[in-house]
Amino acid sequence: MAIVKAERTPDRRPPVSEATVLGWLRKNLFSSVSNTLLTFVMLYIIYLTVGGAFKWGVLDATFIADNRRECYDNSLTGACWAGVIHWLNNIFYGRYPRTEIWRINLGGVLLALWMAPLWISRVKGKFLVGVSVVVFYPFLAGYLFSGGEKGLFMQIMVASALVAFAVNMANMLAGLFSRQGLGTFALRVLGQDKATGKTQRNVLLVLIAIAFGAAFFWQMSWTIQSVVWTKWGGLFLTLVISGIGIALSLPGGILLALGRRSKLPIVRVLSTGFIEIFRSVPLITVLFMATTMFPLFMPEGFVLNKLVQVIIAVVLFNACYMAETVRAGLQAIPKEQFEGAHTIGLGYWGTMGLIIMPQALKHMIPNIVGSFIGLLKDTTLVSIIGLFDLLGMLRSISKDVPWMGLHKEPLIFGAILFFIMCSSMSKYSRHLEVKLSAGRKR
Amino acid sequence: MKLKAKLTAVAALAVVAATSATVASAENTLDVVKARGFLRCQVGSPSPGFYNLDADGNWYGLDVSMCQAVAAAIFGDKTKLQIQSVSTQARFTALANGESDMLSRTATWTETRDTQLGLDFVTPNFYDGQGFTVRKDSGITSALQLKGAKVCVTTGTTTELNLADFSRVNNLNISAVTFEDYNVRDNTFLNGGCDAVTTDKSALAGNLSSWPVPEDYIILPETISKEPLAPAVRQGDNQWEDIVRWSVFALINAEELGITQANVDDMRANSQDPRVRRMLGVEGNLNEGLGLSKDWAYNIIKAVGNYGEIYERYIGDGPQAIHIPRKGSLNALWTDGGLMYSPPFR
Repeated sequence: MAIVKAERTPDRRPPVSEATVLGWLRKNLFSSVSNTLLTFVMLYIIYLTVGGAFKWGVLDATFIADNRRECYDNSLTGACWAGVIHWLNNIFYGRYPRTEIWRINLGGVLLALWMAPLWISRVKGKFLVGVSVVVFYPFLAGYLFSGGEKGLFMQIMVASALVAFAVNMANMLAGLFSRQGLGTFALRVLGQDKATGKTQRNVLLVLIAIAFGAAFFWQMSWTIQSVVWTKWGGLFLTLVISGIGIALSLPGGILLALGRRSKLPIVRVLSTGFIEIFRSVPLITVLFMATTMFPLFMPEGFVLNKLVQVIIAVVLFNACYMAETVRAGLQAIPKEQFEGAHTIGLGYWGTMGLIIMPQALKHMIPNIVGSFIGLLKDTTLVSIIGLFDLLGMLRSISKDVPWMGLHKEPLIFGAILFFIMCSSMSKYSRHLEVKLSAGRKR
Repeated sequence: MKLKAKLTAVAALAVVAATSATVASAENTLDVVKARGFLRCQVGSPSPGFYNLDADGNWYGLDVSMCQAVAAAIFGDKTKLQIQSVSTQARFTALANGESDMLSRTATWTETRDTQLGLDFVTPNFYDGQGFTVRKDSGITSALQLKGAKVCVTTGTTTELNLADFSRVNNLNISAVTFEDYNVRDNTFLNGGCDAVTTDKSALAGNLSSWPVPEDYIILPETISKEPLAPAVRQGDNQWEDIVRWSVFALINAEELGITQANVDDMRANSQDPRVRRMLGVEGNLNEGLGLSKDWAYNIIKAVGNYGEIYERYIGDGPQAIHIPRKGSLNALWTDGGLMYSPPFR
């Protein structure tokens, strides 16, 4: 006697609650009397807030007007975006001469192109790409943004940056089309791929020297109008300060953290003292100290660029916070890792650079990015000491006579900008975490 | 012994060098500015009518014109100028440490500031005073009727102290509602959070014109404080102080003599009035004591116009102005019953 069913049971339809919108609604929003009530209350609140915001910000809003009075004439209860639109150049570029704005845009495009290979898996030599961005890009961008006469050092650095950029782009193309590094590719084209290592190296050096010579002669005739830093402002200034802050505070923080864990007493005491002093003072105090007190200690007539003072203050302040983040990461690495590294004969820097840091940094990504986001937002404090960063510019709109008193709309616009920047940073950090811990998901 | 003597000598030399350098730069702001090629003039964070940014990123306003006047007097070119925006907390330090050459921001000339902060005020270029704005339908027509009222005020300035003094002297029992930001203060007032709002009258007028329905509000007639706003320079350099002071006087005197930006060329060429001829450098040697070129006053008027023109442009009635009538106010010329008075140019 067989109890095995011979024919196939017909497929059953999925339960209503899983398959249809109505079912989902019923299960999640209207499952009981109290839930139904709650749903309606929440719907009403959403209607009130979103509806009100939409009416104020879009339906009743004025987008084209020459002054605030015209906005009022159009609607007394709507937003006046016209003021923000009139001020867009100020908001993004500050007081930068309007005919020179292309330089800022070009600087941004160059950075994006320079970094692009880091995200393309076919490109070889990513480490060198990253190093070249940090070492050379600042000089090229610095000259693009400030212009004027170049000293010899600046000429050399600008020419090197141009070469580095060109090499980087060629390397990206070589990687994309032939999956090779640029060096291998160039040697093959020149028919030297079978030559000895020494010849190969010489060929490459000659190529680079030729490129450098060409770049150097070209940049000698390349001068652009000088733009003094007081004209920098808006989102551009915010990005300059926070960009340099981010780029320098991480290495600075790593060094300080290593110093604090060092076995050498002087290094340890100095690092600890430095970290604790900066961490126990608010950023605004450090900024005031840097901009008003520091010049008093200098000989009279000696005026250090205020922007440089601010950037130094921001870097030092954030490096100290970063140091503690890094130290936390270092402490999470078990002792056996150090011992293992010593066993295979690595010295201090080898242990740190090859074994400890790669593991520790991976764990610290959420905290590091958190600090970066904090840094980006903290830079708005510089508006208090008279720099016209993004926030400073947004607040100035309400003081411009045609737009007097217009302060809500600019601040909302600024909030949106900051949201975009910060959330894309945190989104990217989550992507990095997933990518780096692909081996062991938790 | 020998080494020690050498070291002492070097140290002494260094001290001498340092002090003489300090003295030299402290005494000769004019030379420093000329060598640098531009004037560093300090304003504050934007304040309507006096110094603010337009949508193209240029500074404009009454105090900015003062900076431009001094730049024009020195260089004959009002664009040889760097406007520095410095926070209220750091304003006097920045002047003292040499970061700014002069200060042209709505700073009230008071005894303490003049005598204790190492700076000298030159001469007022705007007479302000604190007042009140109320809703028209409240029926209040005098500040003395504000008994027990809630008054919105920005914190951390003399405004708050003046209000307390006024309340105490007149036994009004006013309660102050304080704010950091004037936009928030005004918003609170507009939404009924207080009965009146108080600040300098110039700002009251400017803010009022930006409200949805300005006709619903009035500024009360009382002025409860004296606020003579004046440019200031570092103490101890009399020539520099004279340059800034007489640049302001040149603006006022030009108005009195009827010299305007438009007719200054004609006046210089054709006027027979000895007062005009002296001031514009056609005859006499008024420039010598200042260390400037003969046409310094001409350059000022050519660059920014006379005081009346500047006032109309930024305070009075232009598209960039905050609409405070000048007629009958303290800021009218002395010939019209105001306080704007320049000593004679002779």
